[in-house]
This record gives sequence, structure tokens and C-alpha cells, in this order.
Amino acid sequence: MSIAIECKNLDIGFRNAESDVTIIAGLDLAIETGEFLTILGPSGCGKSTLLRVIADLLGPLKGTISVLGSDPHLARQSRQIGFVFQDATLLPWRNVRDNIELPTRVGGNARKPLPENRTDALISMLGLEGLGERFPHQLSGGQRQRVAIARALIEEPQLLLMDEPFGALDEITRDRLNNELLAIWRRTGTTILFVTHSIMEAVYLGQRVMVMATNPGRVLGIVDLGEIKTADNACSREDPRIISAMAEMRVALEAAS
Amino acid sequence: MMERPLSRQALIVLPIMGATLILAAWQFLVPLAGIPAYIVPTPTTIAGVFANQWPLLISNLWPTLFESIAGFVIGNSVAVLLAIIFAYSRVMQAAYFPVILFFNTIPILALAPIIILIFGLGMLPKIIIAAVICFFPTLVNMIRGLNSATRNEQELLRILSATPWEIFWQLRFPRSLPMLFSSLRIASTTCVIGAIVGEWIGSDKGLGALIIQATFNYRAGQLYAAIVLSSSMAILLFAIVAYIEKKVIDYT
Repeated sequence: MSIAIECKNLDIGFRNAESDVTIIAGLDLAIETGEFLTILGPSGCGKSTLLRVIADLLGPLKGTISVLGSDPHLARQSRQIGFVFQDATLLPWRNVRDNIELPTRVGGNARKPLPENRTDALISMLGLEGLGERFPHQLSGGQRQRVAIARALIEEPQLLLMDEPFGALDEITRDRLNNELLAIWRRTGTTILFVTHSIMEAVYLGQRVMVMATNPGRVLGIVDLGEIKTADNACSREDPRIISAMAEMRVALEAAS
Repeated sequence: MMERPLSRQALIVLPIMGATLILAAWQFLVPLAGIPAYIVPTPTTIAGVFANQWPLLISNLWPTLFESIAGFVIGNSVAVLLAIIFAYSRVMQAAYFPVILFFNTIPILALAPIIILIFGLGMLPKIIIAAVICFFPTLVNMIRGLNSATRNEQELLRILSATPWEIFWQLRFPRSLPMLFSSLRIASTTCVIGAIVGEWIGSDKGLGALIIQATFNYRAGQLYAAIVLSSSMAILLFAIVAYIEKKVIDYT
């Protein structure tokens, strides 16, 4: 297995005029190509900041990071990274189809041509049939997030970064989208980093769960769920082993707070 | 107790009834109160002026309409261009925005004579006054609009390696349009005020000049007719801007 993301002794945070504010110090992490890793932690632990460093929205303070075998900057410019925000971040003046196709319309010379029928394929993959001409305000929260996922997938990126994408949805919609995301992951083989503060969601989606704590931001541990899930990362939410894995994480998170 | 919402018909009929009642009261109460017609004319007298002096009214409407529209276009265009410069250059904004703010605090009635003094008695000073009155609200709204893209929207375009040109046309400019149009709507009526104020101070044609002449000659019917005409013009310009807004911002 090749490595999709590797961090060595990485410090992340923000640069101020006077001094640097470190959020996570000395992070070591290796994520395999095709892996589904969930990052679980309370607000302020730096999990979203980590995604932003990987996406080259924020430079690391110290240490090294490689994304898809190169510098994050090059990985972003080669358009191999899809990003899904907590609010769908759809442009309100573009309809569903035009929002999905946005990545093929911007990026100067770096953008890739849009394969024929690609948008239609994504619309049907994400259950958005018949909504292509609608504007974002005419969609439900779940539908907006489906459009955001379709947009992130349109250029078939090798890496999908998701920052609490289902955090604002009701539980029933969230469960359904969790299943659909797993189906997409199985179909595309995309490496997925999924940030959440829901223990259930972290355990249900991830092959491994990186558990983080705050003050200072740090990694408590990485839990490998391979043994209690099937080879294609499936499990039952009611499986006693899943429930006990969740209980252990809850205890660890409480002990660290 | 909750009041039921009014029906569609009621919402059309009621304002017409309200206006009719006020006009009727005006028509009959003003003579009853002994107010002479050369001070406050009745609605039928004003209607008579429209019927008898239409060529005079219309010949004074055109200059005012032209000055208003020209001032609207020029004032708002300059404001939009300057807002774009300010949105992209903090140095320019820091250097010049306070100066513009200072000029904006000068009342237009104080500024108008200066502009007439510099540019003479033709149409140009009226156009400039109308432009000045449109300028500031649009500048402020446009700067705010251009800066109103959310952090996530900016990050989205950065992940996609968007060029500055693309960020402007795909994000910042469309984001600014709702705020731009809300100031264009205001400007569509204030530009008429600017043109009329300019005509008051120095002109022999236009609705502003007609208002002044009618006032000093006790031609109250003509005065009121000119006022009705200028406010109709402002309403028409407002309706045009609102119509264009609806066509441009078609996604809400």
C-alpha cells in the first residue's frame, strides 16, 4: 500500500504578526492510499486546521507534510483534492448543475475538461435527479450537502477532505448520507479524511479513527476498527463490538477534557 | 386575537380607496376652509393644468429626465469602479475613503452652488449634482458587497486554484449584486432630486426651473403639476431599476 498523506513532527496553527499560535505540536501521521480515516474530537482540537493544512489553505508552522507524494501546494495545483465544508458553500446564483460544474470552470490553465455525462452521472449517483435546474435555496440541507459532495467529486480527486459535512443535518438524514458516502468510497477508491464530533459517525464511517483532545490540541490515539468491520468497511450500528468501541472513545475523550 | 391576512383583491382595492378618499377630501375641504386656489389648488385644477399645458410640462420634463439618467449612470459607474479599486487596495481605501466621507458630509444644497459656479448654467452641472447624490451610497454598498464572500467561499475557490480574475467574476462580483441593487434603487429616486436641486439654482428649463418660476408667479396649479410629474418620473426610474434587478438576481 502506498502512502497518501504523511506528516512528520508537524506543528500546525496560525502565524500572527508577533508570534505563532500552535494548535497541534509534533504530529506524526501516515494515511494509506484508499483509506477512510475519521478524525474525532471536540471543537478547538485542531481537526479542521489539520484538514486546511493538508488542503494547502494554511501553511504548516514546522515539520514536514507530504500529500499524494508531493508538497500540499503541488497536490492542490494538480487538482487532486476535493473539499467539502460544513455548510455546503454552494454559490446561490448558480443552479445545482452549475454548482457541481464549478471546478471545471475555474482554475485558469490547471482546470480539467469536463467529460461528457459526468455531471449527469454524479447527479444520479447522489440522488439529485430532477433537481439539476434548482437553485440552492430551493433545496433541503441534505440535498445541498449532496450537491457539495458531487462538486468535490467532479474531477475524480484522489483525496477527499470533509470538514464536518453532515454536522448540521438531522440524524435520519445523516445516517442515510453516511451509508451513501460509504458506497461512494467503495465505488471510487478515493482516500477520505472525514472530520466529525460525532462518535457514532466516526466509528461507523472510519476504518481507523483518530481521536483528538483539546487544550492543548493533541492526538489521543488512532483506533483501528479493521477487526470488527468487514473487508469493505461495513458494520452494524448495533454491533456490540461497535458499541463498546464507542464507549472506550467516550471514556478517553472525557478523561482528556 | 390573530388578524387574518388580507385577500389579494383587498390589497389592490384598499390603497386605491384610501388615495381616492384623500383626493376627495382635498377637493372639497380646501375651498371650504377658505384656502385660495393660488396657494393650494384642488386636484381637478391640477388635472386641468395637465390637460391645458401638456406641451409646456413635457418640454420641461425632458431636460430633467436626461440629467437624472445621465447623473445616475455616471455617479453609479464611478462609485462601482472606485469600490472595486478600494476592495483590491487597502492603501487606496485608507488614503481616499476618509476624504470621500468628508465630502459626503457636505449637504448637497451647499455643494450645488459650488458646482454651478464651476461648470456654468448648462446641463453639465445638473448631471454632476445628480451623479454626486448617487455616488456615496453606491460606493459604500458596493465595497461591502465585494467583501461579503464568506471564508468558506474564498477557501473553495483557493482549493480550485482560481485566478484573481476568476475570483472576481465568479465570486466577488455576483456576491455584490444584491447590495449594489439596493443602492441603485435608492439612487433611482435621489438622482431626480439632484437634477431638480441643480435646476433650482441656475436654469431656465427643466422641472426644477418650472417649480421655481411657478412658485414666484403664484401659478400653484403649474407648481403642483410639476411636482406630480417629477415624482412620477422618480417612480418610473425606480420601477425600471427594480425590474432589471429582478431579471439579474433571478435566483432568490
